[in-house]
Amino acid sequence: MSFNAKIKAEILKTLIEVTSPLVSEVKLNIGKDGISLRAVDPAHVAMVDLQLNKEAFEEYQADEMELGIDIDRLNAIMRLSSTGDIVSLEYDEKNNRLIVKVGNLTRKMALIDTAGMPDPKMPTLDLPGKVILKASEITKGVKASESISDHLALIVTDDAFEVFAEGDTDIVNLKLPKDSLVELESDGKYKSLFSIDYLNNMIKPLKGDIPITIKVGNDNPTRVEFDIAESKGHVIYLLAPRIESE
Amino acid sequence: MQSTSLCALCRGTKYLCGKSRCPVLVRYYSQEKIKPLLNKLLIEGASPPSVFIGRQGYPKVSIGPLIPPVMGDTSFIDTPEQWINHSLDEIVDFRSMLIRGTHTVNIYDVESPDRIVQLTRELALSKNSVFTEAFFQKKPRGRIVFSDEVQPYGPSAPIKKFDISNPKYDHRIEKAFYDTDLKARDAVLTLYENGVEVSKIQRAFSVGAFGTKKYRRFVPTRWSITAVDSNIGEYLMSQTKTAEWINEYRVYYLNQYDNRWIILMIPYAWQYELIEAWYPNTTWNPYGSNIAIFNSYEFYNGRKTYAEIGGCYYAARLAVNETLTRERRQAAAVVMREAHPGYILPIGVWNVRESVRKALSSEPYRFDTIGEALDIVRQKMDIPVERWIKNSAVLKNLLQQKRLEDFLRIT
Repeated sequence: MSFNAKIKAEILKTLIEVTSPLVSEVKLNIGKDGISLRAVDPAHVAMVDLQLNKEAFEEYQADEMELGIDIDRLNAIMRLSSTGDIVSLEYDEKNNRLIVKVGNLTRKMALIDTAGMPDPKMPTLDLPGKVILKASEITKGVKASESISDHLALIVTDDAFEVFAEGDTDIVNLKLPKDSLVELESDGKYKSLFSIDYLNNMIKPLKGDIPITIKVGNDNPTRVEFDIAESKGHVIYLLAPRIESE
Repeated sequence: MQSTSLCALCRGTKYLCGKSRCPVLVRYYSQEKIKPLLNKLLIEGASPPSVFIGRQGYPKVSIGPLIPPVMGDTSFIDTPEQWINHSLDEIVDFRSMLIRGTHTVNIYDVESPDRIVQLTRELALSKNSVFTEAFFQKKPRGRIVFSDEVQPYGPSAPIKKFDISNPKYDHRIEKAFYDTDLKARDAVLTLYENGVEVSKIQRAFSVGAFGTKKYRRFVPTRWSITAVDSNIGEYLMSQTKTAEWINEYRVYYLNQYDNRWIILMIPYAWQYELIEAWYPNTTWNPYGSNIAIFNSYEFYNGRKTYAEIGGCYYAARLAVNETLTRERRQAAAVVMREAHPGYILPIGVWNVRESVRKALSSEPYRFDTIGEALDIVRQKMDIPVERWIKNSAVLKNLLQQKRLEDFLRIT
């Protein structure tokens, strides 16, 4: 069993950023064509699904296997890397370790037994409202809302996308008409409420103006997708809604 | 305190302030009992042992012993773990006997050759009551001090000379004291694991008995209480958070000192909240005409800022995690406290820790649904359950937040 790869530090950091808010341990599925992971947070509210093609790596050579990673440990060494560094990853089968090298720095990281780690199922969802927009726009909407409420509404209509939050005294509304969106597909109005805590974790890895896809239904989870690693990787994020009750 | 004119009109007879007993009189009677002590420059007695580190003037704070004018085994007077079955009046009575000697030092001067510093530290590490005599520069003054965080204590005076007989050390605390490479947090956790009472750890912590050598310092009593509660709680939480969820909804109930406590445990990932409702005319809502409700909470990933609600948040969190760790279970916990007018004086954060511990040692109501659990809240508390929910981040989140598996279709 072997796994030998070299990857840009910032791509590995993105993987950590996407995963660490939800779980502290994750199972990496190593395949011939790349790696993937899927994780659900302890409260079963959010799911992240990440694919990284082998083209996203500088070098890649692997057999099929599973690696149980303690994300805090991986993060501890990745924090010491800089943009532009190449990180080398090597599976040490004999000692069941992952050898992580950043420049002259080496960490031989103990792996976690993957036997007890779950394989979460991805729900199939019917989410008729779909928009594609710049990442910076959704970030703006979430940031503006967090000071007044703990939840916000994502709304897709046939001619706009809206973020709406209502606090005790204040209201925040971000309205993006169709022509300021990359794409909009909707046959009516769809609205669901989401926890801002979770949305904040989700938007953290989003950088600059990369296009992100958001799908919304009525009182249904939202599905958010975006590319990473110059389109050689992909992230799907699912977040269960909050239901307003009186 | 009440406005003076109201008290002058009432004079302890009409309860115009709305409390069920007159706090002025409770203080007065306690004060009367200690009056004979106040006229002397010398006090002799068996310190439980007990010390007090003030916070005013930090980093120059006043340290010193608390000494009652009685001999023998007085350890009970400074062991809040043993007080919960005693009345408010009794607690005020025995605590008000404690005369506080003060001596101003810099918090960094824990190793000072100053004799008062040395003896204060020795006293704090002792496991038994220690004969103590103190000569004051002037006669003890002041009233009984009540606060939300620290247990009450009596009048104080600056110390001129101070002596104690041979203290016996608790060997567990002594070991941590002499280990100057052991971090304070690890010392606290080890002692707790070895069964040392939280109040004893807090006392030693306040005199800088733990930690790597260069980081040792005096810690104001009220800060050390919360530091210890918070650190132990966090440690237990790290175990709680990976345990299996409980498999039912539980409601624990206790009425203590006219505080009604409910601890609601929910089969869910760890979350915690303390909600306190203060009736008008209770300690922390003296002027209001409405019930004041405050809350602090954390979700699974914890919080990074100090709880708005203060030290009691961490005291109750410790008690909750003790129960969950013992059972090796995880739950979301909401602690609700309804403080009614019979709670006339604040007696310290120990009351929160011990009340929640006591409530959790009783047999809970167990249910399969959140609705049935909330019905108990409805029965036991005066404040409507809807208002509790409205003021609760955790309950709102649990009742409104869906899970992903709610959307898994069976195909």
